[in-house]
Amino acid sequence: MKFIHRIVHLLIPRESNNQKAKLLHSSSLTLITLAFVLYQLAITFIPRLGARVLGYAANISPTEVISLTNQERTAVGLLPLEENATLSQAAQAKGVDMLNRGYWAHVDPDGTQPWKFFTDFGYKYRYAGENLARDFSNPTSAVEAWMNSPSHKENILSEKYKEIGVAVVEGSLAGVDTTIIVQFFGTKYVDTIPIAPVAKAQEIKPFPTPVPVPAVLVSPFNITRNASLGIAGVLLAVLVIDGVLVSRRRISRIGGRTFAHVAFLGMIIVIVLLLKAGQII
Amino acid sequence: MRSISKHLPHYFVLFGTFLAGILAFSLFSYDRIFQMIVAVAVAASYVAWGIVHHAIHRDLYFSVVVEYLAVATLGLTLVFSLILRT
Repeated sequence: MKFIHRIVHLLIPRESNNQKAKLLHSSSLTLITLAFVLYQLAITFIPRLGARVLGYAANISPTEVISLTNQERTAVGLLPLEENATLSQAAQAKGVDMLNRGYWAHVDPDGTQPWKFFTDFGYKYRYAGENLARDFSNPTSAVEAWMNSPSHKENILSEKYKEIGVAVVEGSLAGVDTTIIVQFFGTKYVDTIPIAPVAKAQEIKPFPTPVPVPAVLVSPFNITRNASLGIAGVLLAVLVIDGVLVSRRRISRIGGRTFAHVAFLGMIIVIVLLLKAGQII
Repeated sequence: MRSISKHLPHYFVLFGTFLAGILAFSLFSYDRIFQMIVAVAVAASYVAWGIVHHAIHRDLYFSVVVEYLAVATLGLTLVFSLILRT
């Protein structure tokens, strides 16, 4: 009985909560915010403590990424890019390097440009480009994200490039299991312009293969999104019930506009639904 | 409901701000920094709207401002936690 009273006190406006659902009081909202921040800290630091239960698992094939990229090119009347094994090896090396050295960037922590991977594998380029993506669960959403970004789209739809190499590497980056897609674009330097002689041909070094990641149980993005939707949804429902009851009972009280709060939380829910997992750079 | 129809222009401004925020999130899905700026701007506009609306309505109290701030902070926390994980 006491439990039911507490629930009613939390959700329904009445005398005990000063005619406003306790959940909607500023103190309750602040507590919910603090609890959510603590929850976020927990799911950020749990993987660093060695509990490998959070992360992203993906089954992305490089061939599919290339095929989707070429579909985008042919759709606008461009020639498809040819898959180049050397570029794919260079892309694989870049992905493994990011995992092994724990960075997520075009330029490595020492300031080395990604083009070094092209030349390391003997690919003399006239033009070179790189697109990176991580934490996407399928190739379609990664290519879509690139196409939504002007600079990445420019690489995909550039007439300058003739060849492509793609690698998908999986491993732990900053304690979180992740899947990285490295997309290298290039055009070989086959012009008649004399090039500066290379002092010494660089030997292609075998690169270490990434350590296989154990099965991932939960995605941090998805559990955060579900929690966000849950909190916003419950508050929205309580606000609507509160608004209807206060209006029917003609209760006059000091407080914010319920309708404005409903609209704000509605917007938050739409934004949460719009946000998708995955990063591109 | 009577209050809503009485202050319809106020709510048009509020909904316009929210729609602009949703549109910005949708159009600039690749730009996390821009999305964070939009989230802060919309939340700040919401609090400012609340203050102006209640001031015009002559029922602006400290607790009302705190309430708008609490709702805005919660919304911002939910959105930021996801942006930082995308």
